Amino acid sequence: MSEFLNENPDILEENQLPTRKEDSAKDLLLGGFSNETTVKRRRLLLKIDHSLKSQVLQDIELLDKLLSIRTPPELTSDEDSLPEESEAESVTSQKNEEESELIDAQEIYDLIAHISDPEHPLSLGQLSVVNLEDIDVHDSGNQDEMAEVVIRITPTITHCSLATLIGLGIRVRLERSLPPRFRITILLKKGTHDSENQVNKQLNDKERVAAACENDQLLGVVSKMLVTCK
Amino acid sequence: MTPDDLNSAIVTFMANLNIDDSKANETAAVVTESIVDRSIKLLEVVVALKDYFLSENEVERKKALTCLSTILGKTPKDHLSKNECSVIFQFYQSKLDDQALVKEVLEGFAALAPMKFVSVNEIIQLLRLLLDNYQQGQHLAPTRLIPFEILENIFDRFFVNVSSMEQVKRINDIFIETFLHIANGEKDPRNLLLSFTLNQSITTNLQNVRNFKEDLFDVLFCYFPITFKPPKHDPYKISNQDLKTALRSAITATPLFAEDAYSNLLDKLTASSPVVKNDTLLTLLECVRKFGGSSILGNWKLLWNALKFEIMQNSELNENALLNPYSKDQSSDGMVQYTNYEASLKIVNLMGLELYNFDKVSFQKFFTHVLDELKPNFKYEKNLKQTCQILSAIGSGNLEIFNQVISSTFPLFLANTSEVAKLKLLIMNLSFFFDAYIDLFGRVTEASLERPVPHNKLAEYKDEIIMILSMALTSSSKSEVTVRTLSVIQFTKMIKMKDFLTPEEVSLVIQYFTETILTDDNKNIYYACLEGLKTISEVYENLVFEISLKRLLDLLPDYFGKKIRVNDEENIQIETILKIILDFTTSRHILVKESITSLGTKLNTVAKVSKSKEYCFLLISTIYSLLNNNQNDNVVKEEDALALKQTIEPKLFEIITKEPTIRDDNYNLTLLSNVLFFINLKMPQAIHQKELDRYDKLFIFEGDIRILNAPNILIVPYVKILSAINKTCELPQKSVVLVDTIQLLRMYGSKVTETEKLGYLELLLVLSNKFVSEDDVIKSFDWKDLSLANIETMVWLAKGLVMQNSLKSSEIVKKFIDLLSNQEIGSFVAKLFEVFVVDISSLKKFKGMNWNNNVKILYKQKFFGDIFQTLVNNYRTTVDMAVKCNYLTALSLVLKHTPSKLVGPFINDLFPLLLQALDMPDSEVRVSALETLKDSTDKHNNLITEHISTIIPLLLSLVLPQKYNNVSVRLMALQLLEMTTTVVPLNYCLSYQDDVLSGLIPVLSDKKRMVRKQCIDTRQVYFELGQIPFE
Repeated sequence: MSEFLNENPDILEENQLPTRKEDSAKDLLLGGFSNETTVKRRRLLLKIDHSLKSQVLQDIELLDKLLSIRTPPELTSDEDSLPEESEAESVTSQKNEEESELIDAQEIYDLIAHISDPEHPLSLGQLSVVNLEDIDVHDSGNQDEMAEVVIRITPTITHCSLATLIGLGIRVRLERSLPPRFRITILLKKGTHDSENQVNKQLNDKERVAAACENDQLLGVVSKMLVTCK
Repeated sequence: MTPDDLNSAIVTFMANLNIDDSKANETAAVVTESIVDRSIKLLEVVVALKDYFLSENEVERKKALTCLSTILGKTPKDHLSKNECSVIFQFYQSKLDDQALVKEVLEGFAALAPMKFVSVNEIIQLLRLLLDNYQQGQHLAPTRLIPFEILENIFDRFFVNVSSMEQVKRINDIFIETFLHIANGEKDPRNLLLSFTLNQSITTNLQNVRNFKEDLFDVLFCYFPITFKPPKHDPYKISNQDLKTALRSAITATPLFAEDAYSNLLDKLTASSPVVKNDTLLTLLECVRKFGGSSILGNWKLLWNALKFEIMQNSELNENALLNPYSKDQSSDGMVQYTNYEASLKIVNLMGLELYNFDKVSFQKFFTHVLDELKPNFKYEKNLKQTCQILSAIGSGNLEIFNQVISSTFPLFLANTSEVAKLKLLIMNLSFFFDAYIDLFGRVTEASLERPVPHNKLAEYKDEIIMILSMALTSSSKSEVTVRTLSVIQFTKMIKMKDFLTPEEVSLVIQYFTETILTDDNKNIYYACLEGLKTISEVYENLVFEISLKRLLDLLPDYFGKKIRVNDEENIQIETILKIILDFTTSRHILVKESITSLGTKLNTVAKVSKSKEYCFLLISTIYSLLNNNQNDNVVKEEDALALKQTIEPKLFEIITKEPTIRDDNYNLTLLSNVLFFINLKMPQAIHQKELDRYDKLFIFEGDIRILNAPNILIVPYVKILSAINKTCELPQKSVVLVDTIQLLRMYGSKVTETEKLGYLELLLVLSNKFVSEDDVIKSFDWKDLSLANIETMVWLAKGLVMQNSLKSSEIVKKFIDLLSNQEIGSFVAKLFEVFVVDISSLKKFKGMNWNNNVKILYKQKFFGDIFQTLVNNYRTTVDMAVKCNYLTALSLVLKHTPSKLVGPFINDLFPLLLQALDMPDSEVRVSALETLKDSTDKHNNLITEHISTIIPLLLSLVLPQKYNNVSVRLMALQLLEMTTTVVPLNYCLSYQDDVLSGLIPVLSDKKRMVRKQCIDTRQVYFELGQIPFE
């Protein structure tokens, strides 16, 4: 029992959970900008005034807008070149926005950290049942290859009877949220549960998970856990 | 009035009664008039009614008596002679035996009672009659109301302005007895209100109340706690609160009730319902307030025990409330708002004060008792919060009580400690005593120095408190967010306390806050410090400027990348400093002005360093935001604008004309030009013309800028300055300027850079909006030249007219609509439609200003109305797909800038078009259509439901990454799918559940995280569709 890890977890405040830091500004800005300075400038602005309503931001948006209305006349005057031109435009904009953001551990963490614990008014992240460093993502980014997510959860007590339910909640959440090419493996962190192997087996047994999901009452409980997800 | 007239009047009255009451009333009024001018006598009326009185028909007898009572009610109080009164009185008395007529008889008495010549004897007789012959239980509520009114009349006549003590003495007892009789068992809210009021009148005005006090109390308290739910169409508009208040004030009307009230109320306090408890506590509070010290003397132990239990069991204040820097002000003292907890504390507070005022020795007993009971809590750290709240509540009574509380309480808990948990408790508990101080001595205000706060014990602990708080703030580790935030909040509270801190100490606090806000990146602490600095600025603006703002401004380096040091922290970012300046200077006159001046000077230095574009951008944005954010509150005044013009404008001008860091950077140039706009907008109107002439020389006619001779980027600042100038000023050679600008755009064509071109087009807009006459503008249009440059020119000129709602504008816009069907340029014109409605910040309406431009507030509404029907019709009649697309594009782009409430009336025609716009090969059009759909979803859910079978497949096609589905399109389509479930009935949604769930699977691997996130949320909603709600 002495090596047990998470018996009296320090409860983390909602805002102490690990987050993707630099990106809060990026989230506020929809993609599709013509050049990099614009993005950079906007980011600078959001650092001093974190609101989308600030007049400065509106003004530089206006400037970009007005400058972009005026497509070079020579191109549009020729009827035939019209589709070509827009094609070219969309390709460039496509290029800009489609720097793709891979699914990473933080993203998985954000998906499951806010699931409510079935018997506390707290989330799994706050109770440190799920931890960022216990999530592994193996993904090449190639749409045709399989990818895998491995999550190790830490129950709050070694005989936690709800470990399977927590695992089920996480699995339902991820199966609904990840593309089908992801294989999801949920394990108990080594040495954190009395009947580790048994639970692990149950958590990753497809048949049993499918059966559980057909039980309306159980699904109701899981839905309740998922309500707090953000 | 002849007897015949009288008879016919009576017949009319009887015929109309209960059918057309107003008519009946009129007739009665006519008869009364005749009585007043003495053309008939009241007795004649009685005689004329005689037959009816004796009728076998009950209804007729009733009506006849009503007729008499109505007339009597309208007769002036001093008109009837003693004799007449006596006769009528006896007449009514004789009718009382007729059970059917009770209501009418009572009405008669109600009319008679206030008559001047009705004798005391008759009144006593009347009271006796009510007491003996009237059975309140047998009548309906409206009938039961009348005796209350009779008593009210009698009370007004005999007890309000007492004329003869002897009369009063005779009536006194029987009046009370009668009241008790009629009030017994009353249930109707309207009657109860009267009953409570009468009860209070009796207990506060009549004699001998002591003999009746139990009965009078019972007839009140049997209703406590009163609850009443008004029926839907209550004609009397009586609320639950009216009844509660009336009852409460009746119960607390006389100290004679004290004994009964305390014991009964304390009994009710054990109730479990919080509402009942609240009523009880508020009534108790009122009792303590009204009955005063003598009544508390015998009851305080009972009260204290009950309240102690109440307070200890129910603490409402949780830690979060204490950590919230935006504390509510204590000034509101409305009784209604007290929660149970607050009310309990308030009672304790009043008990102390009243006892103290009544008898100091008893207060000592009370306080010692309380303190002895609470002392162990300090030792065992149990219920400390409640304990301190009780003690501070007692302390806020008066100065001496306060001193006693402080000197006996503080030694119990005020001791510095390094244990974080203890420190937290200590700081929290201090806060209650600060509140008590503020309650007692008031808040600091600029004018508060006149009446100094007397010496008090808390001041003696000041140094120790400051030490503890500063230790908590500066020496605890950064992760101790709670303790540090608490410390900041308590410092702020101490600043608010009148006469507590010396200016030196305030300076110290300002310094702490400034350092903390710079070096700590925790959000809570940031906001707490910010709130603190703002609070201090309200009173000590100069100190804040000297100690905080100056320091912040001095920290700004001359070039990007230079390290900024505060204490031991190295990496303070420029952005952080600017953000802090922006956040805390808001609406403080000195701070805003000094910041702008100082940042402007800094900008002048920074701009001259190469590669400093970004730093310049930040500085300019900050200056601009300062001007813009404070523009509505009138913080920057005319004289400030003048001062800025002298100090800063030359410096800004220097860099805008010379430095490439500004000139060659679109954003910097535009934003800085906007700064110039604001400075000129705010300057006194008297100098506008002078300034305009000066600028014209500078930019156009003299010197080496000459923006009209060849394309010049400095057109941008010129246009912004021009936008700020009063529209009545005379622009020299305006027609030449207009023609030259058009000429310049045409001649230089592609050699003009886009930014320059935009500047010149905006110049055309400003000219056509406020300087050049409508006719001259229209003359300059050349509809034959279909070159894109010319069309663009015309669109901007036309925008100036559209914005002022010019009569000619509809006609001009029609011509542009015609151009949409042009094969060659139609698609370009469609894009230009956005120009008409796009908002340009320098052509905004500012509050309280109407002289800077001719922009009408409702111009978009008119414009939209002008184009909508034509566009829709043209769209329907056109076959050519490309042209159709142009109409849709134009419409969508206009919609994007039109408030959705203006679009509402058109939605039925618009909706099908929007759905088609979703298919247009242009992502902007799609975005705009989706935005309009989103805005209208809530209000027009029936439309969505109706088209659900089209919308869902359409949206599902928009979420996939394809050519025209950019991030915004995909994101909004997903959001719209999610919103659909909230507005469309479940049975419709359910049939699409599987389609949506499977249709969204590919989106789970979208390249953008944001899109994936929204997709997951949307899917989640669809997964849960129709699921049985848990629990």
